[in-house]
Amino acid sequence: MATVEQADMRKKLKDFITETFLIGSDVESVNDSDSFMEKEIIDSTGVLELTSYLEEEFGITVEDNELTPDNLDSIDKLVNFIQGKLG
Amino acid sequence: MKVFDLLAIGARFFPDNTAVKHSDRQINYRELLGNTIKVAQYIKSLNLEAGSRIALMYENSIEYLILFFAIFKAGYVAVPLDTSLKPDKINYIISDCDAQLLCFHAKYARYLNKIIDSDSTLKYIICNKNLPLESSAIEFKVIEDILNDTAFAKSDTETDIPIIEFNLEKLYEQVTKASNELAAIFYTSGSTGEPKGVMLSHRNLVSNTIATVDYLKLTEDDRIMVILPFYYIYGNSLLLTHVVVGGTLIIDNRFLYPEVILDTMEKEKATGLSGVPSNFIILLNNSTMPNRKLPFLRYFTQAGGAMAPEIIKKLMKSFPEKEIYIMYGQTEAAPRVSYVPPERLADKVGSIGIPLRGIQIKVVDENGGEVPTGISGELITTGDNVMLGYWNQPDDTHQVLKDGWLYTGDLAKKDDDGYFFITGRKKEIIKTGGNRVSAKEVEERILENEKVLEAAVFGVADDLLGEAVKATIVLKDAQTADIREIQTFCRARLAEHKVPKIIEFMDALPKHKSGKVNKLALKN
Repeated sequence: MATVEQADMRKKLKDFITETFLIGSDVESVNDSDSFMEKEIIDSTGVLELTSYLEEEFGITVEDNELTPDNLDSIDKLVNFIQGKLG
Repeated sequence: MKVFDLLAIGARFFPDNTAVKHSDRQINYRELLGNTIKVAQYIKSLNLEAGSRIALMYENSIEYLILFFAIFKAGYVAVPLDTSLKPDKINYIISDCDAQLLCFHAKYARYLNKIIDSDSTLKYIICNKNLPLESSAIEFKVIEDILNDTAFAKSDTETDIPIIEFNLEKLYEQVTKASNELAAIFYTSGSTGEPKGVMLSHRNLVSNTIATVDYLKLTEDDRIMVILPFYYIYGNSLLLTHVVVGGTLIIDNRFLYPEVILDTMEKEKATGLSGVPSNFIILLNNSTMPNRKLPFLRYFTQAGGAMAPEIIKKLMKSFPEKEIYIMYGQTEAAPRVSYVPPERLADKVGSIGIPLRGIQIKVVDENGGEVPTGISGELITTGDNVMLGYWNQPDDTHQVLKDGWLYTGDLAKKDDDGYFFITGRKKEIIKTGGNRVSAKEVEERILENEKVLEAAVFGVADDLLGEAVKATIVLKDAQTADIREIQTFCRARLAEHKVPKIIEFMDALPKHKSGKVNKLALKN
């Protein structure tokens, strides 16, 4: 069950990143472990868009001190972060 | 005196000070100067024509400084490139300034073969890594190989320090002897959409550097947290002002995660932080900065567009003991024109302040006559900092440079204390997040969409960006499109900061009797 939920979460995140930041940009695709920072997928305002999406879609609260690359800088990291938040 | 001498002075008086700290790497002034001289010797060995332009597409790093100063040391003109631009604009700039050498960071490798197209003027590339090239006509060199090449020495007999005693007045004396030769071209968005090359002389850059060191009271003890790119004239100013005083540039290119920057500031004991309004809005509203003490920090500086008074007040409230410098300038002024002394900020919130030493400001009417205090007119400025003109654009140059005065296109008024306040803008330029965006360029790209009949683009107030790009669009009959579709279309053709953040669809655009779109009505 958890695997299905994780797969669903991963797909939602990938779709959001692709639709919001990739379509029309020079970056063609994103792998689950790609760093958003290194691949220049997201800028500082993009991070705020991303956290708003996480809060709305997954019902979590992202604190200011949680806006770190360890939590947010790839799809893999986002999945871990959200799962940690959801307990 | 030339721009290279700013590094020579820093290295002469503070050889053991850390010049740059970037992640786990650092370099002192002695090494920075030595490496710069080595790279300059390699560049000289290419025998480019005197005055050749050398483009620099490089992220903030120790190597950026080495390459930047090496270009001056070799006697050439530096052209720092905005790395967020699309390859077509990069190509335009390289071709416009006829650059034969490109200093290139491998981070942008995905662009490289698009940049070196069949018409490219490029013959040489210096890069931080080996990269596969489709064109074999380019001579490719890795910077590390130059630094390891014993054929190039770390010192030479030509490097001379023009002053004996290090103090501010001696530095000001040198400005009067500074060269009027072209030193650098910084491309910026023109109102027509194509980038315009702002030609800055050695004197422009040196004079503005010294005057900025003066009012910020910078010394060798200063350690600036650099989050602005060096290709941006404000970032370039951080670089030059700290190098000449032997201060330290702490580079961290991860501002998208503000906590990382704040941690770096604390760890590296940063004494200064410089940003554009959106940086401060994020730091104050979406980070733990207001709760941190930042015990080593002496000052903040802000430029790159007007910051909302409530944000300034919030910064003052959060950090009552820190100096806050609100500043105004533009690329054409190398860049700094005015600042608000921190002790006057509380009663001058909303002002762009008073001119720097050696700079004059006037507010004039349409005939160039100075208007009385309290009356709005165009802000014009003069001083050693005012640009030589726009590269290959004599008509545009004549429009803004008149009798030694730079017509900024900004409307302003002066109060009884001699403080200036911006009241509007003459040209259709949007200032968003520290970037200038041509409304015309965005309109032209939107009109390339075959579904679109008409488009009007303008700036609207935005909490985060100061101004946001807004597009009002009329679709052709029977066509449908949504906001995301138009943004995606723009994103493929424009740099990210030019993509309209707000899009509104209308049945028709309001127009003046002349047929011109009434943007004031749209804004209101």
